[in-house]
Amino acid sequence: MNRREGEGCPRRNADAVQDRDASADPSSPVIAAFKVFQQELDTKHDKYERLVKISRDVTIESKRTIFLLHRVTSVPNAEDILNEADVKLDAVRQKIGQIAEELRGEDIFQFHRAFTAGIQEYVEAVSFLHYIRHRNLISLEEINASLVFMRTEKGSAEALQPGGQVLTFQVTPSDYLLGVADLTGELMRMCISSVGNGDIDTPFQLSQFLRQIHDGFSYIGNTGPYEVSKKLHTLRQSLGKVEDACYALRVRGSEIPKHMLADVFSSRTTLLDPEEGVV
Amino acid sequence: MNRREGEGCPRRNADAVQDRDASADPSSPVIAAFKVFQQELDTKHDKYERLVKISRDVTIESKRTIFLLHRVTSVPNAEDILNEADVKLDAVRQKIGQIAEELRGEDIFQFHRAFTAGIQEYVEAVSFLHYIRHRNLISLEEINASLVFMRTEKVEPKVTPSDYLLGVADLTGELMRMCISSVGNGDIDTPFQLSQFLRQIHDGFSYIGNTGPYEVSKKLHTLRQSLGKVEDACYALRVRGSEIPKHMLADVFSSRTTLLDPEEGVV
Repeated sequence: MNRREGEGCPRRNADAVQDRDASADPSSPVIAAFKVFQQELDTKHDKYERLVKISRDVTIESKRTIFLLHRVTSVPNAEDILNEADVKLDAVRQKIGQIAEELRGEDIFQFHRAFTAGIQEYVEAVSFLHYIRHRNLISLEEINASLVFMRTEKGSAEALQPGGQVLTFQVTPSDYLLGVADLTGELMRMCISSVGNGDIDTPFQLSQFLRQIHDGFSYIGNTGPYEVSKKLHTLRQSLGKVEDACYALRVRGSEIPKHMLADVFSSRTTLLDPEEGVV
Repeated sequence: MNRREGEGCPRRNADAVQDRDASADPSSPVIAAFKVFQQELDTKHDKYERLVKISRDVTIESKRTIFLLHRVTSVPNAEDILNEADVKLDAVRQKIGQIAEELRGEDIFQFHRAFTAGIQEYVEAVSFLHYIRHRNLISLEEINASLVFMRTEKVEPKVTPSDYLLGVADLTGELMRMCISSVGNGDIDTPFQLSQFLRQIHDGFSYIGNTGPYEVSKKLHTLRQSLGKVEDACYALRVRGSEIPKHMLADVFSSRTTLLDPEEGVV
């Protein structure tokens, strides 16, 4: 039998072997080898499935954090909301710790598609929180620094044992990039809702900030992952909406009293999601 | 404030209210109502998410059962494989019991899209097993009868007729594979039985035409292709088979059936 290793055997060989043995002999080394392959593949697929499930949880929690963060423009006590968001993001980090646990000893790029959506949403949420606090863009190093987990060997009771492992999860640059692109959409929403609240400084800051992000993406052009070009298109639209808002404020704003400014925008920004209905 | 119930309020009203109150008052009845809405929606979405996860597990286990069942054509002891498949399908039924638990007291059609894929795969697996044993098509009543669970009260998930239909359509693809692999094993009776059986299923689907769910038309197209492949196999056996010795019959088919999945590589 010329079929010891490898799974991609031509059918013709299989049929020839089949005809020689009227029925497959379960104890043959070939069948045994295939059983090993079956277990390997099943393990891999089960791990992929677990990662998909954890990644869906990460996505949902991050999205809820972002919805929470959108409310800071409309309540006086922003600190409560920021603290609540911190708590939620800690829970998300625990989940990412589970992802790191699953990926221990594995080639992460084999499973990358399973968790990439979750990681992008997490980058979006954490950079949104960072922007609200510090008005600048969080860096990839800072994100990775916060994703360090202490794990212990099974059966040990102390975390400080020398055998205790430090598990890190590295966000890939492409995930960071795509997460930042999604962030721009959320910043555009925040800008429009802050105008609705009468805040006339934020749009100008945001317009500068988004312009810089847009320029950065233009440098990348089409050398990055293929999703970047789609997101660049959306980024241009977001930037356009924010600049329209600034224009309306600066040029038209001197004519209109503040409490009627919101009505000007509700007629312009008809494309916004209902998620920001809790204004 | 003219906003007591309902979530789809026009933005203009919201902005007008906003201008009157410089900041939203957290204790107002409107905000309280929205908090209730938020919890309702979160609960609903969480339930949907749990159902999606259970449904993915059902799909994976059912698919593995089907792969297992494809092996009956190539081993002499089919009974072992059938018993193993029974065990796997029992595990799948437990999962479907969990789905039924989640859906207790809910409108199942609100969550139907979450678990429909899993249920279709389950119907495919259980009807495949039934066909291998009894050479006929399992009925919807039999499927539902095997899905009765005793929890604190009797819970009966109902497979909807549309899920049953789509599952049977998928079954035809698996039957086509079984037919081709059985020819590869030298079995020359099965293809003719299968050809009859698939023809009857095809006729049944043609009666439905385009009055059923929209996925039916796509699956009817695939069904025609499967029927075509099975009938080609029967033709090759009957017309060409008399000329070719049995051990070379498999080679005739490996050159024809180049569109098959690698899943049946374990022949």
